[in-house]
Amino acid sequence: MGLTPSFAQAPGSEVEVAVPTQDCSINMGPQHPATHGVMRLLLKADGEVLTGAQAHLGYLHRCAEKIGENVDWTQYLPYTDRYDYLSAMNNNLGYSLAVEKLMGLEVPERAQWMRVLLAELNRIASHLFAVGTYGLDLGAFTPLFYTLREREEILDLFQEICGARLTCTFIRPGGLFNDAPEGWLEKVESFLCRFEERWKEYDALLLRNKIFIERTAGIGTLSGNDAVTWGVTGPLLRASGVDWDLRRDQPYLVYDQLDFEVPLGVGRQGEVGDCWDRTEVRMSEMLASLSMIRQCLDKMPDGAIQHPDAGPVLRPAPGRAYVGVENPRGELGHWLVSDGTKHPVRVRMRSPSFCNLSVVEHLLPGAMLGDAAAILGSIDIVVGETDR
Amino acid sequence: MTVARDACWGPAQVHALAVREAFEAITASGFLVTLEEPDLPLHAPEGESKDLARRRKQEGDLSVWRGDPYLLLPEASQLVDVCVSIREDLGFSMLYDLAGCDLSADAANLQIVYGFLNLSRKQRLVLLTEVAKDQLHLPSVAKVFPAADWHEREASEMYGLIFDGHPDPRALLLPEDWEGFPLRKDYVFPEEYGGIPWA
Repeated sequence: MGLTPSFAQAPGSEVEVAVPTQDCSINMGPQHPATHGVMRLLLKADGEVLTGAQAHLGYLHRCAEKIGENVDWTQYLPYTDRYDYLSAMNNNLGYSLAVEKLMGLEVPERAQWMRVLLAELNRIASHLFAVGTYGLDLGAFTPLFYTLREREEILDLFQEICGARLTCTFIRPGGLFNDAPEGWLEKVESFLCRFEERWKEYDALLLRNKIFIERTAGIGTLSGNDAVTWGVTGPLLRASGVDWDLRRDQPYLVYDQLDFEVPLGVGRQGEVGDCWDRTEVRMSEMLASLSMIRQCLDKMPDGAIQHPDAGPVLRPAPGRAYVGVENPRGELGHWLVSDGTKHPVRVRMRSPSFCNLSVVEHLLPGAMLGDAAAILGSIDIVVGETDR
Repeated sequence: MTVARDACWGPAQVHALAVREAFEAITASGFLVTLEEPDLPLHAPEGESKDLARRRKQEGDLSVWRGDPYLLLPEASQLVDVCVSIREDLGFSMLYDLAGCDLSADAANLQIVYGFLNLSRKQRLVLLTEVAKDQLHLPSVAKVFPAADWHEREASEMYGLIFDGHPDPRALLLPEDWEGFPLRKDYVFPEEYGGIPWA
């Protein structure tokens, strides 16, 4: 406990007054709305200014990696839904690609296009939730209801194609569980037409909102260099001005046949890499995903959706393989080790939220206490994934 | 540099080239590393993939493997210097992953895998090192790559590894009083925790 003198200037006067302040520790969480799950931040504050932050994780730890060693390759798939429960399709995809790499399987072309379509649809759903709840963190209640309205439509589409809304287990090693039912692709098409108009509503309601800009512009700035050294990926990295997107730079599936833009933060309202830029990148990524889905609908060939060699029991060749895919929150990596039996030896999951969250202990010191929720919310973590 | 697409799961050939280049550069700097490359083709030959692993196992041939090439660093004590070299000389500016691995309960060593990403050349590099289970000490690279901070804390509580020089070696995901190292293959599941029975 130390008394650190700091100097505040009284308005309109030129007299400097020494105001002694006292360091205090503040618990944010484990049950705090802005932690989006069960997570605890121990903040140290000197008056209104944060001097330190320590994250305490593990409240949702299930040791998914140990579970992976005790089930077989196919049985692990439902657990991937539950790391980042807002983007189950993307998680299924990352795991399936890694298993296929060990098996040397290349899935049929229609399955590749369908996978891209589903992954991008899930990205829009995830970003809608991220942007909506971020408004909620800052006290804007209305935008969430607008974004949830469209997210529900996407979840309805998922329910129709696989029976589940959040935990899909639809993309699986070897291809897909099923082909799209009759008329489903047309429903996607009509959703896209509606979505394009409604996107403008969130843009006006949240992103161009004066209060929102005041709360986020110039707050929580993360430089591109720091982002790279802290292993930050995804929209956070791009908001800091680093031009890196796995879909374009290390393309998997058919992403190299798609034409899309990678939005970057340019500091339009404040500085490059501030909270506003992160929200803007997520907003722009929704439009990029929209154009990708359109291209998938145009180019999708007919044909099989499952590789004939991938049965219910898989025995990948002995070896170790890493596959990273671009999830809504960043790079989701699966590092798998197989000894040729039906049980994995090691299922390592590199979770984007975990790596992105680690930068929070570096971002918060120096910020104002009132901005802590704004900064934490802009990272967009899912605690199911940080804790696994 | 253009990215070659050689499989639906990503540019594997690009990574293979990167690892070979890095191997030559690191060896030229005087470090002892070996290049480990898969000896199964990346794509399964027609009609061979389904039972390939099972057949090879029956034939007693377990040395063949499929997947990514990597660098093996036999002396874990050189880790910090090698990481500095990888970062400064080879331009791999991001440590994207760090994880432990226990291949079997009988294995004498634990493996630790480091994944590096070069954003400008769009390449990946995997470095693997081993630590004996009765020794468990290896240097921390958190000062070279701050991203290693949390990963090392996680590997430490899951495998009992001790990263010397780590700035904050507390438990991360597990409670402070958790006993045993869950991701070890010889881990025994607890009967109860804090008076709460297992089932």
